[in-house]
Amino acid sequence: MGNKQTIFTPEQLDAYQDCTFFTRKEILRLFYRYRDLAPQLVPLDYTDKPDVTLPYELIGSMPELKDNPFRQRIAEVFSEDGEGNMTLDDFLDMFSVMSEMAPRDLKAYYAFKIYDFNNDDYICKSDLEKTVNKLTRNELTPEEVTLACNKVIDEADLDNDGKLSLEDFQHMIIRAPDFL
Amino acid sequence: FFEEAKLIGSLVSMSTRERIKAIQKMPETMKKKREIRNKVLKEITEKSRRHRNQCDCCAQCLQRVAVSYRRFRNTLSEYFHLLQLWQKTLKVIGGEFGTGVLSYFIFLKWLLTFNIFSFLINFSFITIPQFVAATPNNLSFMGLELLTGAGYFQETVLYYGFYTNATIRKTEKGASYNMQLAYIFTVGIYFVICLLSLVFSMAKSFRRNFINPQMYSGQASKLLCTWDFNITNEKAVKLKQKNLSTQIKEALFEVNREVLNFSLKERFVHIVIHLAAWVASLGTAVAACAGVYFLSIHNLELFMNEHKNDLENQAAMLVLPIVASLLNAFIPFFYSWLGLLEKFQNPRHQIYVTITRNIILKISIVGILCYYWLNIVSASESHCWETLVGQDIYRLVLVDFIFCLLGCLFGEFVRRIIGTTVCVNLGMPEFDIARNVLDLIYAQTLTWIGIFFSPLLPGIQMITFSIVFYVKKVSLMMNCQPPRKVWRAAQMTTLFIFLLFFPSFVGVLSVIGVTVWRLKPSKECGPFRGLSSMYAAISAWVEILKNYSGSKWVVWIYQNFFESALFFFILSTILLIITYLYWQIIEGRKTMVKLLREQIMNVGKDKMFLLEKLRGLPTARQNLSVP
Repeated sequence: MGNKQTIFTPEQLDAYQDCTFFTRKEILRLFYRYRDLAPQLVPLDYTDKPDVTLPYELIGSMPELKDNPFRQRIAEVFSEDGEGNMTLDDFLDMFSVMSEMAPRDLKAYYAFKIYDFNNDDYICKSDLEKTVNKLTRNELTPEEVTLACNKVIDEADLDNDGKLSLEDFQHMIIRAPDFL
Repeated sequence: FFEEAKLIGSLVSMSTRERIKAIQKMPETMKKKREIRNKVLKEITEKSRRHRNQCDCCAQCLQRVAVSYRRFRNTLSEYFHLLQLWQKTLKVIGGEFGTGVLSYFIFLKWLLTFNIFSFLINFSFITIPQFVAATPNNLSFMGLELLTGAGYFQETVLYYGFYTNATIRKTEKGASYNMQLAYIFTVGIYFVICLLSLVFSMAKSFRRNFINPQMYSGQASKLLCTWDFNITNEKAVKLKQKNLSTQIKEALFEVNREVLNFSLKERFVHIVIHLAAWVASLGTAVAACAGVYFLSIHNLELFMNEHKNDLENQAAMLVLPIVASLLNAFIPFFYSWLGLLEKFQNPRHQIYVTITRNIILKISIVGILCYYWLNIVSASESHCWETLVGQDIYRLVLVDFIFCLLGCLFGEFVRRIIGTTVCVNLGMPEFDIARNVLDLIYAQTLTWIGIFFSPLLPGIQMITFSIVFYVKKVSLMMNCQPPRKVWRAAQMTTLFIFLLFFPSFVGVLSVIGVTVWRLKPSKECGPFRGLSSMYAAISAWVEILKNYSGSKWVVWIYQNFFESALFFFILSTILLIITYLYWQIIEGRKTMVKLLREQIMNVGKDKMFLLEKLRGLPTARQNLSVP
């Protein structure tokens, strides 16, 4: 129904529409953005579900991501292999979560994973230090960084285990309506 | 695996729309979501196959219809997205300047929709019927009318005075259109819709952004929640990082030094300075109002004494709007300077105090003008006082628009040139969000007051707002740098919506209420000529309705709900009781939240205690087993 496109089968498009927050047109537009990163690697026919992965360097060079200090973590969190190399599914997933239609709890979940540098499901002190350095471009001295991290853990850690769990983080996000 | 089966079971039992929403919200990878979705769909088709014995083709048909309906709705929503104005522009602005500046443009777009809606319904229900019964216009058109709104425009549909009070009939026995009722009901229904829309926006915004204001200024939220992932411009990113590092350094510095205990004398001096600043600001506001009042009385004398079509006279009519706009443009600078003098301890307080003073100034100017219009102009012996008021408002709106453009030119363009060439340490100007939003609120207040006296004014405001949007956007891109201070966009937007509702919209409702209920309409012009009050049109209509047996219920509703005071008394009591009940529920929930937090802390402590014990166990066991 509608436009005749041969990239996806209708069932594939329906599945994408159900699983992301995008409409058909947006999904097709995102596919073209993905393909523009490496036209020789990405085929125009996805009906047989080809297994194509784009390396992190190409993803990180996209204009939306190239200035974001967390782009490497974002790519790692959303990629299947954890190294930043993304398939089309991961790509759509990433933009779906970052779009304005995604609810805040979903974004909070992924933000937690982005800030969790060592992937242990907790934001511990070293994760926080790396976050602070990325947020401030290494302009603070190490003592200031440590002090700031201690303050954060003091305030947000509800169950007093010295690190932030997902619940602590979500609890904090609810009280911060500026979180995007 | 068991959890997955439970999840699939719960998804199968939901309706299609809820299921799609639930799948979209799941924090899993796309692959997993697709698997779950396929499993759920398989389950659903199996279930429907089991039920197929009853009605084979019916169920299949229904399913197909449902699927194609959903596809149709999806395509429709895609086209609806095209209608959204300026989406790309807003994204670009948000990307370069952050959400603070973006909130100003979103607010402007929201006010524009109010004006578009008002213009559409006024034009269709009031102006188009008037074109059918129009009287010819004998005045000539000179160029100055565009600015002053008088002259040729006086006898057009622009103003209240032109509208007929007759019941318009196309043919003798055909359908009739009662202009008086149409006028009152169109304006009334528009204001009711505005009221509901404002109240709902305010409630939604308040609930999202003010859930728990304690713990707000915590450093944790500053660190982890203020990174604006919307920003895509490299310069803006660097600036934001620099700001964050400065803020963290300031916060740490505050923590490191002891909280200074101000001595009694210093506190006293601070209070005296604050009081003096408040007295100065309120004094300036009162002086501005007095100036506007005397100028407008002088204006009225000028208008009554001389003949209307003199060019010099018409130019003299522009003095009042120019003075009002000058006051609105320059007194806020004085207030900002006062704010700097006062040396607030909390920069948030400075912003709030400055906004309060500006709002007091703007609302008092509008208030004094309304007082002048409602008490003095309506009692004067002019031919058509409502048209006079309409013309005044038209001029105010237009001159305010011109000053806005000039302010953009001088405040941002010239300031940038000065800041980059002559006096380099000033740098590029920042976009002053609070001031611009308050200007918008002022313009919208004037428009709302003007809707009754000049039904096509929202159309003019529509055009001005669109031009302001483009001018501000171009000026922003060319001249401004991203804001340096933290601007809590969500909280400030709630505050601005509240300011739009409370002094602005409620004031407009009172002015229109007084006009409709208390004031005597002019005898020779407008839809209510000759009546004792504009409301009398409705009472007269209800009297007529009494004679028709079919509409007795309307008469009954009118008599028992709108005319009786008992009804309003009972309504207010019920509302007060409900408010009190909700307040008690909130208090109860607050205590529960506190208790639950303590519980979480205790659980954490228990966990640590048990972990310690567990660590001590193997050594204890070793001691036991090895004799």
